[in-house]
Amino acid sequence: MDREYDIIVIGAGFGGPVAAKLCADAGLKTLLLERSKEVGDKVISGLTIPFYGFLFAPSFIRDGNPPFERPSDGIDNYIITDLENEEIILDNSLKVPLPFSPIIAFGYNTYCKPFCQWLAHKAVDSGAELRTSTTVVDFIEKDNEIQGVITDKGEKIRGNIIINSEGSQGLLAIKAGIREKYPAETISLADTYDYIMPKEDIDRIFGYSVKMCWGWDEQKAAPPLGYGNGLMVWPYRNSLHFMQDQCLRLDNQKVPNLRKLFDIYHKKITSKLPWWRDLVEPRIKLRARMWEGFEIYVGLNRELRQLPLVKDGMILIGDVAGLESTELCDGVPAAWFSAEIAAEVAIKAIKAHNYSSQALKEYEFKIKSHPIIRWSISGRNRYNLRFAQKTHNLKKLKRYIHNGWGLGALTTFTSPFLKMVIPYLKKDPSILSKWIKMFFRYYQNWLYESYDYQRGTLAKSSQMKRLTKEERKFLRWMRFIDIGVVLMTRIGKKFKNIINSLSTSMNTFLKSFLPLIEPLYFFILRVSRPFAISYSQKLINFVKKANSATFTVINERGVKYYG
Amino acid sequence: MVKTSKKFPGVKWIEGTGEFIKIDIKKCTGCGSCTKVCLAECFQIVDKKAELMSLDECMECASCWYICPEDAIDFFWPPGGTGYKSNWG
Repeated sequence: MDREYDIIVIGAGFGGPVAAKLCADAGLKTLLLERSKEVGDKVISGLTIPFYGFLFAPSFIRDGNPPFERPSDGIDNYIITDLENEEIILDNSLKVPLPFSPIIAFGYNTYCKPFCQWLAHKAVDSGAELRTSTTVVDFIEKDNEIQGVITDKGEKIRGNIIINSEGSQGLLAIKAGIREKYPAETISLADTYDYIMPKEDIDRIFGYSVKMCWGWDEQKAAPPLGYGNGLMVWPYRNSLHFMQDQCLRLDNQKVPNLRKLFDIYHKKITSKLPWWRDLVEPRIKLRARMWEGFEIYVGLNRELRQLPLVKDGMILIGDVAGLESTELCDGVPAAWFSAEIAAEVAIKAIKAHNYSSQALKEYEFKIKSHPIIRWSISGRNRYNLRFAQKTHNLKKLKRYIHNGWGLGALTTFTSPFLKMVIPYLKKDPSILSKWIKMFFRYYQNWLYESYDYQRGTLAKSSQMKRLTKEERKFLRWMRFIDIGVVLMTRIGKKFKNIINSLSTSMNTFLKSFLPLIEPLYFFILRVSRPFAISYSQKLINFVKKANSATFTVINERGVKYYG
Repeated sequence: MVKTSKKFPGVKWIEGTGEFIKIDIKKCTGCGSCTKVCLAECFQIVDKKAELMSLDECMECASCWYICPEDAIDFFWPPGGTGYKSNWG
């Protein structure tokens, strides 16, 4: 039977366009459907995309120039124990140390709309067909196999494999009988304010830090954490986002009046939190207010985690597959990882003309064994946080915040991270230099590129020139690193078992020794500060002046990626 | 036609959504959960039953659909190209 498309992707958010691009690159006839008039109209929360998202992202993102609003070098956690008397504890231990900050970033803050548009452009450039203003309302189903989609205009479009990236509500996945409605306890409602603020003020007050607030329930300063989240403020180029989010329901308690609660939280923070009241409030102007539901808690629920991710003819990716991160409340890295895996499996299935769930099962297996996805969706720290908050145990609260959003996060993140890094080094010896160039290029983009909202394009101002002596030296160093990686992987082969077990046990090691190492680490940071400042200035000056070609990565096919 | 709201700046609503949220009056017990979670005040309780007032400021978050203990709320995306849009998400 002839079908019009090999692949139909539903939803042009963060995951969909990536899957569409990779399928189109493989020569498959790909259709990308989006319900909004323009791509990115319906995405609500701006966000910080953490660095690991970019490191392990599909190469066109890693080696490209996506639009950013500001790099972020870490988190300032404010633990509010008594707002009236300004008893506030600061934990800002999770920060990229100085000579590297802000060039090597912890994450990149971005508005969703330009980013999704950039991704969708990439998909279209690769040959995928994009149709906006098209809501998929149902599927063409025969013998329990999904064979296509039915749009709101009644049009039937047939495709071999449907990659479903509709987002967390999963209305279509439920229709297809592959998923259930998530319980209200798993859903966090995020109320977002977008403020305009002059760039100089943001540079001075926020620098590159995301600020988070936590507090006791009765303080009514930040939403109850643990099952819900808390309060985040993240800076952009010349604006900032204030986001408070809370679960729809907590511990089977009565449904709270969120409208009233959010108003109270917002008023309290803006009028009583010292740094907001004195520094931020006089300098901001409200530009937008919106909200969206997120599925922060899904990964923690074992039953929900066991739900299937594939069906005959359909694969779920990103939020609809329940992959939003419990740890950092961020679904983008997992959406990219799952999109890449889905595309890989779909391409294979189409080549073999087998679209059954049996053939697509490989996707499910790879998602469930993906070290970073597994870490990010099932972080138990949220249970601990909620417990500490309920029992009013400040010592525990401090510890769990430190373990989730402070340096203590290394005790859960290091092993999954190493498990991802090692195969990447084996697969591509030049990956380390690509990563370094990525950070440098992204920093240069932040300096020189801004998103033109009128024209919907990136305005790039840096020009291509001949490389200077310093730039050639940098590239020589990158080549040295590449050679180093090749040598290391050769030696590493002999010690494969030792390296594997070391990376697995790294978390356990850090759990016992990080408390000892930490004071030493901060002592070294303090002692080396003058040196670090001057070195970081040198680094920034180099990146500022450098020719953009220095950091350009040419991928295997010899295609140069520009924004 | 495009609508805006003073309460929620920076957001536009394109007309033509139709009633994409429906309440099953038979199932509704009038518990009021939907009125509590909806930040746009789309619902009200009349005679111990939830009633849809207006979808003019709805941001399609589906909280009402998630929270309804009786599954009395039916939610589906509005037709393509309609409903809320924002540049600042």
